Amino acid sequence: MATDDDILTSPVPEPDAEPTAAERAHAKTFADLVDKTLSGRTPAAMSADDRALLEVATVIRVTSGGLPLSPGKQRSIVEDVLASALGGAARGPSGSLPGVTPITAARGRARRVAPWAIAGISTLVAAAAVALLWLRAPTPATPVAHPPSAPTAWLSRPADPMIGPISRERAGDASARLDYIFADRLDGYRARRLTGSAGTAGKPRGGKR
Amino acid sequence: MKSRWFARWFVPLGPLAMVLGIVSMGCNESAPQPQEAVTRVAEPGDVIDEDLMVALAQAKNFHHKAKVYMSDGNLADATASVRQILSLRFPAGAPEADDVRLDARALLAKLLVSQGQVEEAMRTVQEGLAQTTRESFFVANLYTVQGEIHEARAAQLDGAGQKTQAIDERRAAIAAYDRSIKINEKLQKQLMERR
Repeated sequence: MATDDDILTSPVPEPDAEPTAAERAHAKTFADLVDKTLSGRTPAAMSADDRALLEVATVIRVTSGGLPLSPGKQRSIVEDVLASALGGAARGPSGSLPGVTPITAARGRARRVAPWAIAGISTLVAAAAVALLWLRAPTPATPVAHPPSAPTAWLSRPADPMIGPISRERAGDASARLDYIFADRLDGYRARRLTGSAGTAGKPRGGKR
Repeated sequence: MKSRWFARWFVPLGPLAMVLGIVSMGCNESAPQPQEAVTRVAEPGDVIDEDLMVALAQAKNFHHKAKVYMSDGNLADATASVRQILSLRFPAGAPEADDVRLDARALLAKLLVSQGQVEEAMRTVQEGLAQTTRESFFVANLYTVQGEIHEARAAQLDGAGQKTQAIDERRAAIAAYDRSIKINEKLQKQLMERR
C-alpha cells in the first residue's frame, strides 16, 4: 500500500495515466479532510504532508474568492485592528480590550439611545424655536411711499357731482350728459398729458403708461 | 414587537415633527409677500387714461348715431345703437363706466317703451339696477324710468279693463319715484356737506 511519502516522493505520473487504487484512496481521504476543514471540523491530528496540502487548498480557495468570514470572525478582526491602533494593550477576560467596547454591544446601545437622543435634541430645538418666535419683536411696518396726489381733474371718478340730479323731463337725455362727461374727462386727460409731471403723479390704471 | 418598534421610534420623534412645524411656520411668516397683486380693483387714484377716453368716445358716438336714427323716426336702429353702449369695454373699475351704462339703460328703456316693448324695457331697467355698485344720480334716474314703465303698464292694464292690476302698477310707479327722490336727496345732501 502506498504511503504519503510514496505519493510525494514517487515519480510524477503521466497526465493520461490511469490512477492507481492507492492514489484514489488517498484522494478520497484528502477530499474528506478538506470538506471537514471547510465545515469547521478540522481533525486534531493529521500528517505533516496532509497539513501542508490542506493549507495550500485553503489558500487557493481564499484567493479564488467566495469565502465569507463569519460575523464573529469579522468582529474579531475589526477589534484586533482597533486594538493595534490603540497601542496593543492586553485583552480583557471577554476577549475584548479593556478600553474598547465590543462592536455588538456598542451597536445595541446606540440603537437604544438614538431615538431618545433625537427626541432630546429635537425638543431643545423646538424650545429654542418657540422662544425665538415668542421673543421676536414685531418689525415696524415699512411706510409705503405714495406718489404725490394728482389733481382731481386728472382722476377717473364718478360723474355725479358734475351732472347733479336728473329731472324726469331729462331722463332720456343721456347723450347730452355723456357729451358733458366726455368734455370734462378730456380736459383732465389733456392736462395730465401736457403737464410735465404726468408720469409722476397719479397712478396709471393697470400699470400702463 | 411592532408596537415596541413604533414606540421606540415614533414617540421620541414627536418633538422632531414639532420642530419641523415651527420652522415651516417661521418660513411662511418670513416669506416675501408679493409686491403687487396680479389683479386689483381700480382705486380712486387711477388717472384718466386712453382706454377710458376711447370707451367714452365710442359711447358718445353710439348716442349720436341713435339721435340721428331717432330724428328719422327709426326707433329700432336707435335702440340697437344704444344697446351697443352696454357691451363697450371700459377700464376695470372705472366709475364712469357705471354712470354711462346706467344712463344708456335709461334711454334704452324709454325707447323700448315708446315701441310698446314694456316688458323688455322693465327687464333692461331691472338688470341695470341689479348691477349697481353704488348709489348715484344715474341710479336715481333709472328708478325714475322704472316708475315711467310701471305707469305705462298701468295704462295698458287700464285699456284691458284690469283695474286692480293697474292700481298695483301705479303704486309700484310711486314706489320707484320715491326711491329715486330719496337717492337724489341723499346724494345732494352729501354734496352740500362736502362744499
